[in-house]
Formats: sequence, C-alpha cells, structure tokens
Amino acid sequence: MRGGGRRLADSVPDEVISRAQAQRLVRRLWSMLDDYYVRIFVAVFLLMLQVGTLLAGPALVAYGIDHGIKGRSGAALDRAALVYVVLALIAFVLGRTVTVLVAKIGEGYLQDLRGTVFRHLMSLSLGFFEREQTGRLVARMTSDIDALEDLVSQGLVLMVQNVLLFLGAVLAIFLLSWRLALAVFVIVPPVFMASRWFRRVSNVAYREVRDSIATNMSTLQEGLEGIRVVQAYAREPSFRDRFHGTNEGQYDANLVAVRISSLYFPSVEFTSVLGYAVILGFGGLLVHDGFTTVGVVTAFVLYLVNLFDPINQLSQFYNTVQSAAAALDKVFILLDTRPTVAERVGAFDVPSVEGDGRGIGVDVDHVSFAYGPDADLVLHDVTLHIAPGERMALVGPTGAGKSTLAKLLARFYDPVEGTVQVGGADLRDITFASLRRTMCVVPQEGYLFAGSLRDNIRVGRVDATDADVDAAIAALGVGHHFDSFPDGLDTEVQEGGSRLSAGERQIVSLARAALADPGVLVLDEATSNLDPGTEHEVEQALERLMSGRTVVVVAHRLSTAARADRIAVIDAGGLAELGTHDELVARGGRYASLYAAWQTHHQDAA
Amino acid sequence: MRDALRPHKKWSRIGIAAGGGWAAARVAIPLLAAAAIDRSIEHTRDPLWTWIVILVGAGVFQGLCTGMRRYAAFRLAYRVETDMRMQLVAHLQRLHFAYHDTAQTGQLMANAASDLNQVNQTVVLIPLTIASTIMMVAVIVVLVIISPGLCVFALIALPFLQLSAARFSRRMFPIGMSLQNELSRYSGSVEESITGIRVVKGFGAERRQIASVDNHSAGIYERSIAAARERAWFLPIIDLLPALGLAGILWYGGHQVLEGHLQIGDILAANLYVLMLIWPLRMLGQLIGQIPRSIAASARIHDVLATDPQIVDAPEAQSLASGGADLRFEHVTFGYGNGRPVLDGLDLVIPAGQAVALVGATAAGKSTVARLIPRFYDVDDGRILIGGVDVRELRLAELRRAIGIVFEDTFLFTESVRDNIAFADPGAPMEAVRRAARLAGAEEFIEGLPGGFDTLLGQHGYTLSGGQRQRVAIARAVLADPKVLILDDATSSVDPTKEHEIRAALAEVMRDRTTLIIAHRPATIALADRVVLLDGGRIVADGTHDDLLASSERYREVLARAELSAAHVQADSSADDGDEFDRDAEPEVSR
Repeated sequence: MRGGGRRLADSVPDEVISRAQAQRLVRRLWSMLDDYYVRIFVAVFLLMLQVGTLLAGPALVAYGIDHGIKGRSGAALDRAALVYVVLALIAFVLGRTVTVLVAKIGEGYLQDLRGTVFRHLMSLSLGFFEREQTGRLVARMTSDIDALEDLVSQGLVLMVQNVLLFLGAVLAIFLLSWRLALAVFVIVPPVFMASRWFRRVSNVAYREVRDSIATNMSTLQEGLEGIRVVQAYAREPSFRDRFHGTNEGQYDANLVAVRISSLYFPSVEFTSVLGYAVILGFGGLLVHDGFTTVGVVTAFVLYLVNLFDPINQLSQFYNTVQSAAAALDKVFILLDTRPTVAERVGAFDVPSVEGDGRGIGVDVDHVSFAYGPDADLVLHDVTLHIAPGERMALVGPTGAGKSTLAKLLARFYDPVEGTVQVGGADLRDITFASLRRTMCVVPQEGYLFAGSLRDNIRVGRVDATDADVDAAIAALGVGHHFDSFPDGLDTEVQEGGSRLSAGERQIVSLARAALADPGVLVLDEATSNLDPGTEHEVEQALERLMSGRTVVVVAHRLSTAARADRIAVIDAGGLAELGTHDELVARGGRYASLYAAWQTHHQDAA
Repeated sequence: MRDALRPHKKWSRIGIAAGGGWAAARVAIPLLAAAAIDRSIEHTRDPLWTWIVILVGAGVFQGLCTGMRRYAAFRLAYRVETDMRMQLVAHLQRLHFAYHDTAQTGQLMANAASDLNQVNQTVVLIPLTIASTIMMVAVIVVLVIISPGLCVFALIALPFLQLSAARFSRRMFPIGMSLQNELSRYSGSVEESITGIRVVKGFGAERRQIASVDNHSAGIYERSIAAARERAWFLPIIDLLPALGLAGILWYGGHQVLEGHLQIGDILAANLYVLMLIWPLRMLGQLIGQIPRSIAASARIHDVLATDPQIVDAPEAQSLASGGADLRFEHVTFGYGNGRPVLDGLDLVIPAGQAVALVGATAAGKSTVARLIPRFYDVDDGRILIGGVDVRELRLAELRRAIGIVFEDTFLFTESVRDNIAFADPGAPMEAVRRAARLAGAEEFIEGLPGGFDTLLGQHGYTLSGGQRQRVAIARAVLADPKVLILDDATSSVDPTKEHEIRAALAEVMRDRTTLIIAHRPATIALADRVVLLDGGRIVADGTHDDLLASSERYREVLARAELSAAHVQADSSADDGDEFDRDAEPEVSR
C-alpha cells in the first residue's frame, strides 16, 4: 500500500497534454528558469552523487562476500562494511542537501510565477475581467499553481532520482555480470507493461471516483441548503433515498478502483519474487559454470528493488506531470493575453494646468465605441466638452451607453474612433500613473478589501500617512462616523465588507477619492437606496467631494442631475440633449418628460 | 469506531486471514532464497529447480494474499466511511431549524467529506498494521533462531525508522496547517483583487494589491521550505537506516560465516528481511501520526451525531383530524436562542378557511409566526392549536404535509421544473403539475423555457429570475394541496405588473384553505379577508384593510415604510439588468 488512493485520485488530469504541446511547455518552462540554471546543475550533480553512493551498497556486499568470505579475508570484509557505512552517511547528507536545494529552486520558481502571473493579471484591461469569471481567474493563481506544487516540491527530485537509480542499477548489473543482467531483463517488459496498464485503467477509475465524490457532495450540499424546504414538506425520506444512491455510487466507484489496485500491487510483488527466482535459478547455473560468483548473485537480488521501484514510481508520476502540464498550459495562456488598453512607449504625464492638477477639462471628440470587433456600436460619434471645474451629469435610459461613456473617460476601454482628452492630451498618450492621480473613478458599490478601514481608504493613495487619512475623512465631514466603531478607523473588515452598511461602504469609497484628491472625478451613482441613517450623510460627503473638481456623474436619480451644472442625455448611443436643468426642462424634450414623470412619482410617495 | 466495524465481521476476518497468509509467505521467501543459495548453489545437495519452483509458488501465494488483504481492508474502510456518512446525513436531516441556523453548510460538508476520509484512512491501516506486526514479530523470531547477533546487527537501526516517521508526521502537521492558512490568505488576496478590480483600476491601486499578494506568496515560500526541511530529515533516513543494517549484516554475518557459524544464504536472507521491513515500519509511523487526526475528526463527527433533534414526535402523537383546520395562537411567547422574545404573549385565532394578512414592520416577528405553525421551532410558552390540537401533539410529518409554506428566499433543487413543483408528491400526474403552475402564474414562462417543464434548474441548469423562482415555489406549495397555506413575502420579487396577473389565481388557491399571507404591498394584502398588525410581538390591530387604514396610525406608518422599501426593490430589480457601471449589461460584453 503506497501513498493510498486518494492522492492519486486528486492528481488525475482532466485532459491529456499531447507530446508536441508538452515539448513546447517544457521549453518555455526551461526558459523561465534561467535564474536557477546554476542551482539546477548543482542539484542534478548532487543527485547523481547520491544515487551513486546508494547504488554502491549491493556492489560492496558482492565484494564482501566474494573477497571477504569466499576469499577468507576478514580485512576485506571490514573494509567493505566500513566503506558501506561511510557511503550511507554521505548519501544521507547529500539527500538532505538536495531535498532542501530542490525545494528552494522549485518554491522560488513558484513564487516568481505567482508574482509574474498576478502582475500580468493586474495589467490587463477591465474588458478582460468583464469577460472572464472571477472563479476561473482565481483558479489560475491558486489551484493551477498548486498543481505545479506537487511536481516541484517532491515530484521532480523523485523523478530525477528514480531515473538515475534505474539507469545506474542497469549499468551496475551489466558491469557485474552481463549474462545475468540479460536474464533479469526478461522480466522488465512485463513489469513495465503492467505499470502502463495500471496507469491507464486506474486513471479511468480514479476519474470515476472523483466524479462520484463530486456528485455525492453536491447532492449533500443541496440537501443541506434546502433542508428547510425538505423539512417543510416532510420529504426527508425521499432525500435520504437520493443521498443513499449517490453515497453508494461513491462507494461503488471506490471499490472499482480498489479492485484494480488489488490486482496490480500483488502482481508487482509477484514480479519481484519472480525476479529472485530468475536471479537465483539462472545465476546459480552461471555460478556452477564459473561465469559469476555468489556475491554477484546476492548483489543482483539487492539491485532488483532499484530496477522495479523506479518503474512503478515513475508511472505514478505520469499523473502528477500531466496535471502540472495542463495547469501550466492554462497559466501560460493567461500570460499570453495582451492588455487591450496598454500604456504606449513614450507616454507622458497629464499636463498639469495649475500646480495642484485642478482646473482640468475633459473632452470627448467624435467618439464611437463597440465592445468587440464584430459587435454593434454602443456609442457613435459622441462629442462632449466638459469644462474645468464643471459638473456634468449623464442621464438616459438603461443600456443607452452612459456608463460606457464613463468607462471611456477613465480609459478602461479605448474608443474605436475619435479621442478622449484630459487636460488637452489624448488619454492614449499619457501614463496610467498620472491619469489615476488626475482622475479617480468611484464605482457605485463601495467595495471593501480585507483589512482595516484605514487601509481601505489608503487604496486611494498608498503612501498616505494616518494624518492624511484623517484629513481626507474630515474634509468630507464624516470624521465622526467611525468613532462609534470598536476600533474606530482601525476596525478590521472582511472582504466585501459585509459588516458595514451600504452607506458606510460608500463613505469609505468616497474617502478614498478624497484622499487621492484628483482634479477629475468620475462617479457612478448608486441605484439602490441606502439606509435612511446614512443616506443623508453620504449625500453631504459626496457634495463636498465634488466641490472644486471637474465631475462626470452617471446619474440614476434626477435630483442628482438637477444639481449638476449641465446635463447630457444619452440615448441609443448618441448625445440626445445637452444643457442646464432649466434649459432642458424648458425645451420640453426627453429630459423634461423624464423629469415630469419622476416628479409625479415622488409626490405620490410623499 | 468499533461499533462501526462490527457489522463487517466477514470482511474483517477475510482481511486478517489473508494478512496472516501474506505474513507467512513474506517470512518464508527470504528463507527459500537462502536455501537455494546454500543447498543448491554453494553446495549441490538439492537440485536447483526444486527451490526455484517452491520460491515461485510462495510468490504466487503471497500475491493472492496481498490482493485479498488489500481488497478486504479497503472494502471495509469504504464500507465504514459510506455507512457513517449516511448515518451523519440522515441525522443532519432530522436536526431542527435552530441547529441549521447556526451550523455552516461548509463545515457540515467538511464533516461528511474530509473528516470521514480521515477515519477511513485509519480503518484502512488497521488490518494492514495487524498483518505487518505479525510479520515483524515472525521476522525477529526467525532471525533470532538463525543468529541472535545477526538479528541485533540487522534490526538495531530500524526502530528509528518508525520513530522518524512518527516524528515527521507529527511535525509536518502544524507546518501543513500553517501553509494551508497562508495559502487561503493568499487566495483571499487574489480573489478580492479580482472582484474589486474596478476599485483597483479606478484608483490605480494595482501596486498595493501586488504588494499584498507578494507578501502572502513569500509566506507560502517560507512555509514550504520549512516543510522541505522536515522532509529533508526524514526522506534520506529511509535510505540510511536500512543501509546501516545491511552493512552490519555484511560485517557481523561475514565474520560468522568465516568462523563457520553461518552460511552465505543467511546473509542474503537477513538482507531481504531488512528491505522487507522498511515499508511496514514507515506505515506504522504514518499510522501513529494519523491516529490523533482521526480521533479529532471522529470527535467532530460525534459532536454532530450527539446533538439530539429538538423537534420530534411526542410519544403518543396524534393524527391530524380531517376537515377544516382552524389556527389558534394562545399566549405564544418565543425567542431565538437566549435573546429577547420575538413574540410576547401573542393571541390570534384564524377560523378554518379564512385568509389573514399579517402586517408589521421589519423584524416585528411575522416570519416567526409563520415558522411556529409547522413546528420549525417550538414555542417557549403558550401553545399553538391546529384543528383544536396542540401542534406538539400531532405527528410531525402529517402536520407538515398539511401546511404549504412558501419562503421569501426561495430554494429550488437542481432538478427539472416539473420535479421541483411535484416536490411534495413526486408521483403527481402532469395535469396536476400544470394546474399548480397555472395557479401560481408560472405556466406561461415555464412553457417558454428551453425544455418547458423538463428544463433543468439550478447550478448546472437554467437560471430563473427571482420572481420566476418565487412563482415555482408557490406552485410547489399549491401542488402539496395543503390545509393551511403560508405565503411568507412570497411575491416580493415578482414584478408588480405580473403580480397583478397571478392575484386572481391565488384567490382561487386560497379558497377553502386557511391562509396566512405576510406581505407589504397593499395589492397583496387585499387578497386577505382580514388584516392583523403585529408590533412588539403581539397583535396590536385587527380588522379589514380599510378599518385599519382609518383607525391605526401605526398601520399607516408601517405601510408607508413598506412602500418605500418596495420602491427600492423595484429599483434593485431593474438594476439587475440595468446600465450600471459595475455590472455593465451591454449584451456584447456578457457574451
């Protein structure tokens, strides 16, 4: 019983990597390892030494028997035993060194890979994140890299060690007696074939096991999540029957796998006894004929384990290697994804108009946009000039493209045609770092990261001091709000910030923007209403944040629009109306009718 | 664990018998090899082939025993695991709502998966360990018979192998735990960077996230290296200790042969014995390391099993009388856990066949009233009577089958629409399913689904909107044909324009049933014959909607606030497919 079935089941790959694909992966992997070449060569060298010292053992036994016992020399016997002990100790030291060295190489590489993949991920454009599922991206960084972990932490050493052991053992037995070695080789092919058979059948069986576990667990999960419904309708017996079915399914699948391994492992044991029989039988004949010695025959018996064990171990690595290769392939595909919105070479900082970066205008010039090469235009030929310090509200029906326009302003996407300019410079010509200093985007949901509230606000400007954070909050007039929290601003929140109300999360989000203190603010107003307690506070903080800045706000409430300097009505991807609130109401167009409808609704509710 | 093994005596016996056979064969094989060398190679006392044939025969016998032993051990272990999982799940099903309110699904899943797996691994090792122990004792006996000195030199180092394996297993456990923790912090950091990507991009905070991920990644490196250092102590020892044994055999045995006390074959036999003992000793070490984890895992399972279901049939539970079911709350007091009472001396009588709307502010206890009727919880004080009998004296299954409850948060199963509706009565004819769907205002949209009533819902199937899910849940309750129907905010996500359509059908469903409606919208409240206002855990107003509007200031207040939050719901549901910054709905993107 080696290792048990579970780990095998875990590492059975879903898809099989072709030889050509594998070669490409290995080449690319190798090219990424260039920092480690020296250490890799040292490790392989030490492994060869270790394997050499291990393989010397049986040869020393042969020497001891033939020269010490048969040669009736106590001194030779002492010599052989002493060298054996010394070599074993050297092998021990080498083994320790190699294990740590290889772990450092492998884990170092994985650390590099995690860093590289995550940096790359962070460089990708928003469009990429909108297409991909979060879970899949997280999997690239976690389970896929973990699949490499098995290979790197132990697999590689054992693999190289086993290959060297096998080759070394072959060399050793041929040197000791090529006749007997040839006889031994008669049984290598069956062992090899048996292990291939086992690998193939057990892969299928373990995949079944894994599927059956998944089915059983999802039945259970559903039963637990739906327990109230099950109990409400007194359907416990029928759920029990259903779970019994999947539970027995898991048992049956496990038994199939056990049957296979219960055939395989005994045959491996049998082949080693068969090996003894061949060595003793044929070796005995060779001794009688004077072709070899008893010592050599004994050494052969001891070498047998070094011949068979590597074959079995290597066939088990096949799964680990396959899983790792499949994972690596996915990681490389991610690394090959190019950001669609990237900083161009020679990009410059946003030209600052006045020292503090305020007084910057935003110009949208004949902009058309589609989300993909073959997709319909979402915006066509929109031109909009937002003066420095102006507050512009974007209103319009769902799907009209107002949020898309806001995304273009923030350069989450690049326009298909036309230009977006900040402070007179095309967004595509300026550095991201300076753009983010000049312009902040406040999304409608206040997303919180795990950590303290203070750290969350510091997202706005990483190098801000505690005093800066306090000042930013004070500037919004919400400094007192977090006083009631157990640890004030140092209160820890969970990812997503579930312990805070929507309004409180929004305040943190606004404080981030205040800390970043940008000249231009792009705001997406929350659609859902906040709790009455904080709603007023959020509105006030928002008002303070907006004052003195160029603001583009995607307005969902007409009260917000009414307070803006000018209103742009976006409809069907174009600019339908533009003007002040009073102008648009007077014009009696689309905005006026929206406003009228909204007013009646509010009077009803009041 | 012993109890769990008892029903499987047959396979335990087969396993132990096969283990005994295996041990005997293993001990015999080195002796046979030694005999071949001493009697047929060194000397020619016997023909070589006799020993070879016997050796191969022993190999075949050993193989058969190994296979049988392995199969029996695993079969037994999986049987125990499967049965314990069934027992656990059946028990979980019987546990009361209050238990499930606090238990986390993830934790219970872990009990049923990884904890039981831990137990399994120990059960597997038990018969293997018994066989291995028999073998080890036999090896020692045989070696002592051959030569006590040789036995000492061959085996003196080996116990350290088992000690190292146990130490390794013990020391690796905390390192592994700490590595797991660091990995989960790391993946948390990655996940929040991706879910919060708009904030990260909007503020240019990529570098902050990179620093955080790098930090955790360095932690992973550090702990992995710590694990590697432990491995670096243990793995080379597996090679070292046997090698010391072999060297000792060569030296001591060799001199003994020179002095004529031993033969060369004895050296080979002793060598083979040493090699043979490596795996059993490692396994024994593994078992020693495994046992505390298994004990901890079975303690966690035991905790679940030791929790008694609180809502069970009374010793002489009665059947529910046929005919109408009037409901009577008599001075009912109830609180969740040790907190303040949610209901405080509530009195309410609902005659059979009447429809009552229960209105109240958020957290006034409306849903609690609904949940006490089918005994999801038992009252702390007072009693609830249905058809004149205390619900605690009725057979639980009958009581619940007589009540159709639709929860606000609808849970549908990963099954077809049809199976979801026919949940209470899987054998119901299609006509009944269709009728229930029609009465719930769901037939039309179900017909429009890709597979109609056979459309698979849930995780791997079709996703319905909140309002559609609620209508399927109502159909599920309708099909159950209950005497008492409870709609707990059951139409809150249904689009108000569509709710209007199902109102007439609902009125038909409610005819001749005692109905309790928890609702906010005046239109839904209007379905009821009578309205009761719940406040502070008691009924504070009772009458028709118009009566209460006229007489109760509190009623007007509650309705006004509910209207406001209903407006939010509408805003939210339109936001679901709205043109938002966060979840942009331009169809080109979502595809």
